[in-house]
Amino acid sequence: MASVSNTKVPFIPPPEISVEDKKDNEFGQLTSKEFLYEVRSRQKKPLRDPILDAPPYYVSVITYLNYLILIILGHIHDFLGLTFRKDRHPDIIEKDGLAPWYSKFESFFVRRMKKRIDDCFSRPTTGVPGRFITCIDRISHDLNEYFTYPGTTTMCLNLSSYNYLGFAQSEGQCTDAALKVVDEYGIASRGPRAQIGTTDLHVLAERYIANFVGKPDAMVFSMGYGTNANFFNSFLDEKCLVISDELNHTSIRTGLRLSGAAVRIFKHNDMDALEKLIRDQIVQGQPKTHRPWKKILICVEGLFSMEGTMCNLPRLVELKKKYKCYLFIDEAHSIGAMGPEGRGVCDYFGIDPSEVDILMGTLTKSFGAAGGYVAADKDIIERLRIDLTTSNYGESIPIPVLAQIVSSMRTIVGELKPGEGKERLQRIAFNSRYLRLALQRLGFIVYGIADSPVIPMLLYAPSKMPAFSRMMLQRKIAVVVVAYPATPLIESRVRFCVSASLTKEDIDYLLRHVNEVGEKLFLKVSTGRAGGSLDGRPPRWDIDEVIRRTPTDCKDDKYFLI
Amino acid sequence: MDRTRCALAAFLPPLPPFFVGRKTPSIKNIRATAKWHTKAVNRTMKNQPPEILPTSIPVPTILVQTSSYIWFYLYTCFKKLPGTQYIISYVRKSHQDDPYRTMVEIVLIIYGIIYFLGKPSKKGQQRGPELTSREVESLLEEWEPEPLVQTDDRNAWRLQKIPVVHATPTDKYVDLTRNDDREVYSKVLNCASNNFLQISRDARVLEEVKRTIKNYGVGSCGPAGFYGNQDVHSNLEYDLARFFGTESAVLYGQDFCVAASVIPAFTKRGDVIVADDRVSVSLQNALQLSRSTVYYFKHNDMESLEDLLRELTEHEKEENLPALPRKFIVTEGLFHNLGDIAPLPDLVRLKEKYKYRLFVDETFSLGVLGNTGRGITEHFNLKRETAVDITVGSMATAFGSSGGFALGDHVMSHHQRIGSFAYCYSASLPAYTVRSMSQMLGMLEQDSSAVIHLHELSASMHSFFKEDTELAKYIEVTSCPASCILHFRLTADFRLHKFGSSEEQIFAEISALQSKNISNKFIEAYEQEDKFLQSIVDTALADHNVLITRNTIVLKHETLPVTPSLKFSCNALMTEQELQDACVAVKNAVLKCCA
Repeated sequence: MASVSNTKVPFIPPPEISVEDKKDNEFGQLTSKEFLYEVRSRQKKPLRDPILDAPPYYVSVITYLNYLILIILGHIHDFLGLTFRKDRHPDIIEKDGLAPWYSKFESFFVRRMKKRIDDCFSRPTTGVPGRFITCIDRISHDLNEYFTYPGTTTMCLNLSSYNYLGFAQSEGQCTDAALKVVDEYGIASRGPRAQIGTTDLHVLAERYIANFVGKPDAMVFSMGYGTNANFFNSFLDEKCLVISDELNHTSIRTGLRLSGAAVRIFKHNDMDALEKLIRDQIVQGQPKTHRPWKKILICVEGLFSMEGTMCNLPRLVELKKKYKCYLFIDEAHSIGAMGPEGRGVCDYFGIDPSEVDILMGTLTKSFGAAGGYVAADKDIIERLRIDLTTSNYGESIPIPVLAQIVSSMRTIVGELKPGEGKERLQRIAFNSRYLRLALQRLGFIVYGIADSPVIPMLLYAPSKMPAFSRMMLQRKIAVVVVAYPATPLIESRVRFCVSASLTKEDIDYLLRHVNEVGEKLFLKVSTGRAGGSLDGRPPRWDIDEVIRRTPTDCKDDKYFLI
Repeated sequence: MDRTRCALAAFLPPLPPFFVGRKTPSIKNIRATAKWHTKAVNRTMKNQPPEILPTSIPVPTILVQTSSYIWFYLYTCFKKLPGTQYIISYVRKSHQDDPYRTMVEIVLIIYGIIYFLGKPSKKGQQRGPELTSREVESLLEEWEPEPLVQTDDRNAWRLQKIPVVHATPTDKYVDLTRNDDREVYSKVLNCASNNFLQISRDARVLEEVKRTIKNYGVGSCGPAGFYGNQDVHSNLEYDLARFFGTESAVLYGQDFCVAASVIPAFTKRGDVIVADDRVSVSLQNALQLSRSTVYYFKHNDMESLEDLLRELTEHEKEENLPALPRKFIVTEGLFHNLGDIAPLPDLVRLKEKYKYRLFVDETFSLGVLGNTGRGITEHFNLKRETAVDITVGSMATAFGSSGGFALGDHVMSHHQRIGSFAYCYSASLPAYTVRSMSQMLGMLEQDSSAVIHLHELSASMHSFFKEDTELAKYIEVTSCPASCILHFRLTADFRLHKFGSSEEQIFAEISALQSKNISNKFIEAYEQEDKFLQSIVDTALADHNVLITRNTIVLKHETLPVTPSLKFSCNALMTEQELQDACVAVKNAVLKCCA
C-alpha cells in the first residue's frame, strides 16, 4: 500500500442548530427596505474611458524592493537547500534518470514566494458557502510545508465565494428541487449527451437558460472551464482570427490554443485600439500570404473577475456591425449578477441579446450550481451539438445540478416565490455599490465599475497580501487575495465578492475591520481621481461618517465615475 | 608626407603601414611610423589640435580635415569622463591599435542599432505597401466573412437520433423519446449507458447524497484555491488515493478535461511524448496542448514502441542536451474507440528500461478491470504506485457520479494544484457528487460482487458476438473480453463493398480537408457508413426495444484514423438471461440491416 498523506482534512459533522439559524447563516434577512437598489439599464450608453488611480511612487518602489528581497532570499534558500538538504527537494532534482517534474527556474516563484503565503490559499471549508463560510482551522508547519488540523472550525463572513445572488443554500425551493430529482432520476450522468446522457431535464434546463439570456437556443455543460476550453475548436481554424481582450480568462485562451486560430490581443477595454486592430487585420489579412481571414471573432468577458470592469458592449456591438465581425461574450461573472433583471451585460446596457452572436456563461456563480452554458441562434447551437467534443465524448451535466439551475432561474424571473428574485437582485446591487463607495471614501484604491459585485482593492506590496488575509481571518472575515501571475506584478489585490445574502450590517462590520486593518497596513493611498471624492482631494473619511452617509449616497450615480 | 600623417597620429596611435595608402610596406615606412609615434605622444600630451590629414586616401581634404577635427574633439571630451582610459585601452588592445578598424566597427554598430529600430516589430507583421484611405475603405467594404458555423443539412439526422431519457425508477429499463417527442419508446433495455456498476442508485448512496445536499447545498461556488475545497473534497482525494493505491489524488470538474489539463501542466517545448496511435480525442487534445514533440507508436505494438524508444534514446545521446527532457509514454487502459487493453507489463518494462514516465487514461477501465475494480494494474497484478506514474480516471463512467480525477505521487499532485488549469481556474465539484463517490468506494471495498458479475456478463457478451459465424461476415469485434462495452464495426470487406471506402482512405480525405482548412469537413462515405450503423441502432430499438448506441465521433476533431463503430454495453444490474436476449436482438438487427 502506498503511503497516503497523513494530514488529511478532518470530516466535520454538520452543526446542530435550528433550521431558522441555519437559514439565517446562509442568507441574511433584509433589515430595511432602504438597503435595496434598483439597477437601471444604461440605455445603450457606452462606458466612459476608465480612470485608474495610481498610488504615490514610493508604493511602487517599496513593492519592487519587496519582490527583490524575496527573490534574493529565495535564491539563497535554493542554494542552501540544494547543497545541504537534497532530500527536501525531490521535485526539482533528477532522480533515477528521470527529469524532475518541473524545472527549478519555472517553479521558483511557486516554491520560494507563493509557498510563504500558502496559508492564505486553499483554506478548507465545510458546509454551505453562503452568507457565512465555515473555515476549518489549520496549523501551518515548517513554513507551510504541511498543515495539521485540530478539528475546530471558524465561522467567517463570506466575501470570497462567487455566490452573487445567494443561491448557495441548503434550505429553500432550490434545495427541495434538487432533492426531488435525486429520487426520480438518480445522480448518474450515464454518458455523453449525444449517446444517452440527455434527459428531459436537460432539454428543459436548456430552454430556461435560452429564455433567461434571451437567445433562441442554448446548451449546458458540466464544467464552466471545460465549456470554453473545448468550444472554439469546433468552428475556428488556422485561417480564422480571434481578437481577444488581454485580460480574458485562461479557459478562453486554452480553447483558442486548441482551435489553432490566430489570436491578436488588444489592450483591456481599449475600444480605439480594438478598432485600429480590426481595420488593420481586415486590410492586411493573414500574415505572409495576405489572404483575407475567413472570419473574425471578438472575444471579451462580460465582467472581468480580477478588475471588476465590464466590456464596453455598446461600442463593441457598433464595431462588430461596422466591420462584420462576430462577437463572443463570456458572462461567467455577469450573468445573474448584473442588469435590472439579472440577465447579464446585454440587460445592463439595454442591448438586445440578438446583437451578440454567442453568449457563454457559467452556472456556478450566480445560480449556486455548477457547469456552463453557451447560448446562440438555433442553427448555430444545432450545429454545435453535432460538432462539439464535450457533447460527444464528455460526460453530461448531472441531474441535481440541473434542478438547482432551473429552480434558481425560476426564482429570479419570479415564477417561484414571486418577489424573492427581485429582492435578491436589488440587494446585490445595493451591497456592491455601498461597499465600493464606502471603500473609496475611506481612501482605498478600488478598481472597476459601480455595479460590479467583484470589488478588487489594491494592496500593492506582496507582503501586505498575507498580512491582510491573516488579519481578516482573525477578525472572522474570509477574503481572497490575488497576486502575480493573475494580476500585474505590482498590483497585488484583495478581491471582495459581494453577495445578496449579506445584510447591510454585515458590510458595516466588514468596513470597520477593513478600515482598521487598512490603517495598520498603510493601504489608504488613493488620490480620489478614480472616485470617492468630488472635490479632487484625497478622500479620507471617518468610518462612522462613511457608514452613516454612504447607504443613501451610493444610490446616486454622481458619486461614481461611470 | 610626414607632416600630413601626423594629424591622425596626434590623437591615436600610429597606423600600421597597411592602412596608409596602398604602398607595400617598406623598412622606411616602418621606421617612419615609429617616428610619428613619438611625435604623436608628444602632441597628445600637449593636447594640440591636429594639423592636416593624410593625403594618401583619395577624399577631399576639407572632408578629411573636418572629420579629423570632429574626431579629435569627441575623443578629447570622451577622455574627460572618469574611467574612460580603461575603455580606450581596451578597445585599442582588442583592435590591435587600429583606428580605422575601430571607426568601421563603430559605424557598423550604429548601423545595426538603426536597422533594428527601423524593423517592423513582429515577424509576420511586415508592412505591406502603403495604402491610401480610399483603398483601405474599399478593402474593408470588400471583406465578406464566412458564416460563424457552417450549417449542413446532411448531418442533421444526428440530432434527431439523440435519445432523451425520462425519469424512471431504474436505469436498467428506461423510457425515452427521440426527434422532439415524435418517437416514443417505453421500458427499453438500456445497453448504451456508461454507468456499468450501477451502484450510484443504491439506497445508501442516495441517502448520503440527500444528506449532503441538505448540509452543503448544491454548488461549491468557488475554485479550489479560493475556499472552494471543502472537507469532503479532501476526504475523497484521500479515499481515491487509498483505494487505487497511490500517494495522492486530485479532483477535476469534468472527466473530458482532465488529461488535457494534466499533461500540459508538466510538459513544455522540448519534452518528448510517445503515444499510442489510437488514443481518444481527449488525449489528442492533451498532446496538442502539451507543446512537446509527439511521436506515435503502432497501436498496442510493443516492438514498434521499443524501436521508437531506442531510436529516440540514441538521438538524444547525439544531441547532448543541456537538461534532461521530461519523457512520457501515453496510452489508455481500455481504449475509448476500440475497447481493447494496453499491454501494461510490457509498457512498464519499457518505461523502466528507457527512463520514461507512463501516463494511462483509465476513464473506462477504473471500476471495470481487476477483480475489485481497481483498474488495469490489478488486471495485470501490478502495483499502481510503481507501474503507472499518472493515472487519469472518471467518476462519470463505471461509478455513475460525475467529475474526473488524476492519481499519482505527492510531488506530481502538488504541482497539479498550482499548474493545472482545469484545477486552478474552475469551480470545484459539488459536494454531493464527491460524497456519493466516497460512499461508493466504501461499498466497493466491502463488496465487489458487482464487478465480478460485470466480468461474467462481459465475457459472455464477447463470446456470443465473437463466435457467431453469421455475424462474422458483416461485423468485427474490436474489444476484449474484459471490456463491458462491446465495440463492433463493419468488416473491411463489407465496408469496401457497401460504401467503397476504407479506414485509410477516410483518414487521407479528412487529413486533406484539414490541411486545406476547409470549414465544412464532410465526407460522404463516412457519413453513409455512420448513417447505416445508426439504422442498426434504430432497428434494435424499434423491433426489440434494446438501446445500443453509435460511438459518436466528430470526424473534424480526430487527428488519428478512426472508423465508425457501435457500442453495446452491459451493466451489473442485468441478468445473464436479459443479456443473452439483448445479444440475440442486436444480432437480428445487424443481420436485418446488413443482409
